[in-house]
Amino acid sequence: MAIEIRNRLGLADVKSDFRHIAGRKIENIHEELLELEAKGEIKVIHITDKNKPIEAETLFGRKKKIPTTKLWHHKSCGQCGNIPGYPVSLLWFMNKFGTEYIDEKNQTSCTAWNYHGSATSNPVGLAAVAVRNFHRAYELGLFPLIHCATSFGDYKEMRNLLVENKELRDEVRRIMHKIGRELILPEEIVHYSEWVHVMRFEIAKLKKYDLSNIITTVHPACHCYKMIPEDCIYDKDIYAGKRTAVSTGVALALGAQVADYSTWYDCCGFGFRHILTEREASRSFVMDRKIRPMVREANSDVCITQDTGCTTTLDKNQWIGKAMGYTEQVPVMADVMFAALACGADVYKIVQLQWHTTDWRPLCEKMGIDWKKSEEEYKAYLEQLRAGGKPENLYEYA
Amino acid sequence: MEYDENGVSIVSNEFKKEIFEEAKKDFRYEEYVKGCLNCGVCTGGCPPHRFFDFSPRMVLQNCKSNDPELVWGMMDEYVWACFQCFTCAMICPFLNNPGGVIAILREISVRRGFESAKKVLKPYSRVLLKLTAYGNQLSPDMIQPDFFPDWGPHIVYASQDLPLKRKAIPMPTLQVTNLAWDVAPEAMKELYTIFEEAGVFKIIEVVDPALYEIIQDIVDDVRSE
Repeated sequence: MAIEIRNRLGLADVKSDFRHIAGRKIENIHEELLELEAKGEIKVIHITDKNKPIEAETLFGRKKKIPTTKLWHHKSCGQCGNIPGYPVSLLWFMNKFGTEYIDEKNQTSCTAWNYHGSATSNPVGLAAVAVRNFHRAYELGLFPLIHCATSFGDYKEMRNLLVENKELRDEVRRIMHKIGRELILPEEIVHYSEWVHVMRFEIAKLKKYDLSNIITTVHPACHCYKMIPEDCIYDKDIYAGKRTAVSTGVALALGAQVADYSTWYDCCGFGFRHILTEREASRSFVMDRKIRPMVREANSDVCITQDTGCTTTLDKNQWIGKAMGYTEQVPVMADVMFAALACGADVYKIVQLQWHTTDWRPLCEKMGIDWKKSEEEYKAYLEQLRAGGKPENLYEYA
Repeated sequence: MEYDENGVSIVSNEFKKEIFEEAKKDFRYEEYVKGCLNCGVCTGGCPPHRFFDFSPRMVLQNCKSNDPELVWGMMDEYVWACFQCFTCAMICPFLNNPGGVIAILREISVRRGFESAKKVLKPYSRVLLKLTAYGNQLSPDMIQPDFFPDWGPHIVYASQDLPLKRKAIPMPTLQVTNLAWDVAPEAMKELYTIFEEAGVFKIIEVVDPALYEIIQDIVDDVRSE
């Protein structure tokens, strides 16, 4: 939609294709998307009443519809490979709420970690992978829910590039036809943390433990709120709308304290390439710029994250800090994992904290959670499985 | 490409101009490089600037200078310092995207097979192999004590009895050790077609020919199943 701007004297009428708010523009991507659909250029996965959407306000005030059911899980490589309690906690909540979803094998990685780390791809490759996965959700009649922040940032960017560039659309469409698929984009790119955010008051109803003495510090993920920032959720009641509201919103809804710290805006130090090939940079960044400020300034009990790489980087790099005299330590987990703990999810079988490096047991004890009992039950469960027992799954795989 | 005694590449001015033109021809370039006030907000907020000789302000200024020599000067190690966090893009008052420019320059660097790119990406080959051959970027069996000794003794726990511990994860798709989730062969095959058509395999062949051979063997095996 073109927005008409008249100067105060009425001397000139200017039509602009975007408006500036606080120095930034909002391109009408969402309207252009629908125009392309009307022209038959692309297909759109719409959010309908069947998805039971809940609206949330974004950075510049646009209402973003967040589907709460009939979801296709777009999993994260790093979460599934390294932090399995991350997706398990999310699915545990969805089972509690009767959310309809599919988690399946017919999904590829978004490939964006690799791109931002090595540049061994290009916009055509990235956009084609995005559309391939969107189309898979579409053919199942579901809406894609993106678990990883880098996938979320990348898919938002690819959506914009596809809407704005006919050449890119044509090339991706050609590739899609080669694999028997069509050029399709979802009405919104939705991150799991946005689902958690709009469901936070329902989640809070399941709360089992008092969190009023728990001090959290939130690390917002760069690829969530710095890539295509206008598509992120903000709330005037959370940080007065000055920072993204997701993750903080659920911690507050659960009654935990959310403390400020001076380096909240800094990245985690993951660096995409650095976490694997220049780890001293990641390590220094974690301790100097994130963990030490969280502990020294906020006396934090737990660092709450909303992304894969951040959770890994912040958790794994604290141990080595001791060698350089960094004694500060704080457990790290995603918003949905913290929420699951608060709502009585099993520490080992569901939240899977046994994979985490930095000690989380003091946090559990402060929350009133009997992690030792959970550990014993988990050990017994492993023995059952070793003896040929069947796994207790959150869903049956068809 | 020739190198001097310090390992710095020696190239003609024409070649430097060619590289800069290649960057400017990228369809994202004009969107990423607008006016630059030289205010330095981007560098003030840039995470790697605290640890590396890297400044997003310089990235923009060098591009705006229109001097191929200055852009060429960033093509070796400089572009690889960026964390790709896009803090610069979010806070730039002029809506520039220095992190996006870095991505364009890196793409050129690997596409052209520059030695600096090969050197930087050598330790990265395990991820490249996993991704391009199997459709995942990380797998549980990659987390081994010998690769991550700085992650502490807990990594030993996380790597022991892995098949059993993965089986205990209550998501059937995750009950594997060699992939983050069990990727269906049809999904892998579609990914191979995308990589072929988008030129991704070709890029890997340029930057790491040995790795490319290994990947192609796996691709052939999966396709013949």
